[in-house]
Amino acid sequence: MKSITVGIVDYGVGNLNSVHHALRTLGFRSLIGSDPKTLDTADLLLLPGVGAFPTAMKALDRLHLTDYLRATARAGRPILGICLGMQLLADASTEHEHTIGLGLIPGQVRALSLAARHIGWNDIIPNCHDPLFHHAYHKQHCTVYFNHSFVLDTKREYCIFTAQASEPIVAVVRKDMTVGFQFHPEKSQDAGHRLLSDVIKGLYHA
Amino acid sequence: MLKKRIVGVITIKNGWAVQSFGYGRYLPLGRPETIATNLDRWGVDEVLVQCIDRYETGPDFALLESLCSQGLSTPLVYSGGILTTAHAVSAIQSGADRVCVDSLLHEAPSRVMDISAHLGAQGVIACLPLSIGEHGVMWLDHRMRINRPLDPVVMAALREGAISEALVIDWKSEGILNSFDGRLLLIEELAGIPIIAFGGLSKVDTMRSALSTPNVTAIAQGNFLNYREHAVQALRNTLAGSPIRIAHYAASPL
Repeated sequence: MKSITVGIVDYGVGNLNSVHHALRTLGFRSLIGSDPKTLDTADLLLLPGVGAFPTAMKALDRLHLTDYLRATARAGRPILGICLGMQLLADASTEHEHTIGLGLIPGQVRALSLAARHIGWNDIIPNCHDPLFHHAYHKQHCTVYFNHSFVLDTKREYCIFTAQASEPIVAVVRKDMTVGFQFHPEKSQDAGHRLLSDVIKGLYHA
Repeated sequence: MLKKRIVGVITIKNGWAVQSFGYGRYLPLGRPETIATNLDRWGVDEVLVQCIDRYETGPDFALLESLCSQGLSTPLVYSGGILTTAHAVSAIQSGADRVCVDSLLHEAPSRVMDISAHLGAQGVIACLPLSIGEHGVMWLDHRMRINRPLDPVVMAALREGAISEALVIDWKSEGILNSFDGRLLLIEELAGIPIIAFGGLSKVDTMRSALSTPNVTAIAQGNFLNYREHAVQALRNTLAGSPIRIAHYAASPL
């Protein structure tokens, strides 16, 4: 059976090797790159990220990846964003300044309103049914690791899971073949790895 | 709801994991990679790697890369020799998820703010080795081996959210059973600041008390997690009823 190849988008931000190792552990092939020709060879693109939204968007622009990622999504190829990578999928963010995002998931990124940040392990709660996440629905608790201080506001129809902290937090979003995780599945032990595996396989076979 | 965390601390000197007693006496434990892999397998919530001899040489990126190559699925916090924003960014790129700063808080707090601007406040922890004596709360500058009062600039950065959490270390009790000074969690300067409590936290009642303190977000243990197999799961079971994750055992292959 053909191995699924995940292209990790390298725009100079974040801990790419952790994602790379998690994917290998799960039996996927992975490549790290910023060249569209390289990324075109992957079955699915993964957009990781740690840091600030404006810096990340500037890096994507500098590497001519903004238009590439938009075109990739328009073509129906799967994209998975993690943490800041999920927030970059949104229309815009108010982090530091107003910055336009990739516009792949309708919504705005804003600072948490009731707490400065959301750090640690939290349960995710289903908001609507999506077959990509069938294992998570059958678990009594699906607890994953969050580390962020900005959140995505989106329409209910795109919100697959939430987490309850000082306010409800969008934990997983999906629009067509684009999925975002606000948490770090690669650092969420078995629960996160299972979600990561399910989503990659589900998007690939969709 | 958000769970309080159990953090496994690995203290490293000359590249080896050591058992530390008050940051003054050390016994070798073994390879950091082996201990990190155990903590990961046993389901600790975060692993904190603190390299205590890296001030002159800078962060141990090779160690971080080696730890990352183990394929850890637990968040990794790195401490040791971070003096610049470039150090912090490289630590993240080498495999850390967050960084913890210590000497830099004494020497150049403004640089810590710059690190926070690059990584986001959630990526930065302040290391505060504290003690309570006749002159009140004292903050140890372990490099200069002097105690001084807490710096209002650093406390303001914590209170205003430019630094996400304070690692409050009862450094005199570190490595000594049942010796954590619970008064450190209640001092006025730390009111409202998220705290990771560390140093001599081994007694169940003391840990429960720490976990019930509203602004304590995590408790950390070093040596005590190395004494037996599945120490993290055993600790979770012992602390059942506290707002922590339930014990995690490695699942069968996905």
